[in-house]
Amino acid sequence: MRDADPSTNEREFLLAALKDGARIDGRKFYDFRTLRLTFGAEYGAVEVQLGNTRVLAKVSCEVIRPYTDKPTEGFLMFNTELSPMASAAFEVGRQTDEEVLVSRLIEKAMRRSRALDTEGLCIVAGEKVWSIRVDIHFLDHDGNLVDAACIAAITALLHFRRPDVTVVGEDVTIHTLEQRNPVPLSIHHIPICTTFAFFNNGERMIVDPTFLEEQVKEGDMTVTLNVHKEVCALSKAGGIPMEIDQILQCTKIAVVKVAEITAQIQAALEADAKKR
Amino acid sequence: MSRLDRTRTSAHQLRPFFSSQNLLNRADGSAQFDFVVGPAEVKLRDEKLDKATLEVVVRPLVGLPGIKDKAREQAIRETLEPLVLSGLHPRTGIQIVVQTMKDDGSILATAFNATILALLDAGIPLKSILGAVTCIVDSETNQILLDPTSQELANAKSTHTFVFDNKSSITSNTESKDQEDAVEVATLYSDSTGLFSEEEYFKCAQICYKAVQAVHGFIRTAVQKKLEKEQQQIHS
Repeated sequence: MRDADPSTNEREFLLAALKDGARIDGRKFYDFRTLRLTFGAEYGAVEVQLGNTRVLAKVSCEVIRPYTDKPTEGFLMFNTELSPMASAAFEVGRQTDEEVLVSRLIEKAMRRSRALDTEGLCIVAGEKVWSIRVDIHFLDHDGNLVDAACIAAITALLHFRRPDVTVVGEDVTIHTLEQRNPVPLSIHHIPICTTFAFFNNGERMIVDPTFLEEQVKEGDMTVTLNVHKEVCALSKAGGIPMEIDQILQCTKIAVVKVAEITAQIQAALEADAKKR
Repeated sequence: MSRLDRTRTSAHQLRPFFSSQNLLNRADGSAQFDFVVGPAEVKLRDEKLDKATLEVVVRPLVGLPGIKDKAREQAIRETLEPLVLSGLHPRTGIQIVVQTMKDDGSILATAFNATILALLDAGIPLKSILGAVTCIVDSETNQILLDPTSQELANAKSTHTFVFDNKSSITSNTESKDQEDAVEVATLYSDSTGLFSEEEYFKCAQICYKAVQAVHGFIRTAVQKKLEKEQQQIHS
């Protein structure tokens, strides 16, 4: 099923409002929507609500044989299938362009930036390593799936605890959750994506577009930063050409946003840790 | 006796229900049952000439959908097809997506219950509502336990899932404990795995039937509360 394009009224109203300096939902241009994090009962299950966009991330692990040319590296796999639940436009089994872009952005932001230490996942070199799998389910699509998915994925990885392992020579014992407390993963840094949408011939930039804003936008860009002001990934795939100054300004705005979101994630993790 | 998860004291108690409806705004109808399955959405699309086509998609919590999910899809679709008044919506499609949010046993029964709540939320006309419950025969104590958790499922000698509708009733004598007494209920779906006798099967059916009345009661209350809240919002 294809999504209906927004009506001319909606489109004109949105663009006129942006020219006048207002967004339809009342936010300021560089404001994120309310971010809500809900943890599941088990470790590694997180539901993120960014306004009306909902994403669920679940981390699981298993022990497998490593690649022969990389005997000490564990695996980190992301599964980001968009189901028809999020939007009628997504089909089961067929990947739309948007789905491919979201998948690639998550991979770039998480895996290529080495947020998770894969060397620390090694149990016995050349024989047994941990394979961490992150399943990202999109429950409701109201714009900006990438940011929500990124927050969900990194929070789930921070929340997850893998079973403790003891290696005595050749013997490997994987302790169950009852025997020993599970161990957190070693995460080097927390990459957070910030998506910008461009309007008005490149003059207007807004953060965290809603679904309607995404349908009407002229171009978009996603910057992935961490709190240490390091750029992990930057993606501007097509869309209207922007000047360098504007790109740099976007990154400066993103720095502020990333600091806020990281603080919120850490506060939520601490609150959840106290509850357990 | 105390069950493994220590929150229930009787073998015939179900876990507490928790459900919320109309959670998603991109879908026409959605429902969430807290103990296992997540939101299910229902929408319309073009397909058959004189009836609505039902499409069910089941997605697991971890991993890609596999054959178990396909089997669940088929079960839900075949059970719901006679229930939905599809003649009222020809050349349209109804798509149901079932997403597992937490896996703690009894997935199929919860999927059925969530689906019926979502269909009600979407306003799809139905002939009757259904209720589903899973029960197991424990391998050590030979007791029949309702609504097992994953731990209890691992200890089961046989597992049974029953789906009943709300139009039939027990016509037999309820005082009699004789299992051969006919339980004249309309079973919409029955799935059993494991080693069990005919006697055990019918006893399970009877126990599940009584439990399903609680499910029906809950569905009715949930829909009522939702409508009351909507009315309040309109008038306030």
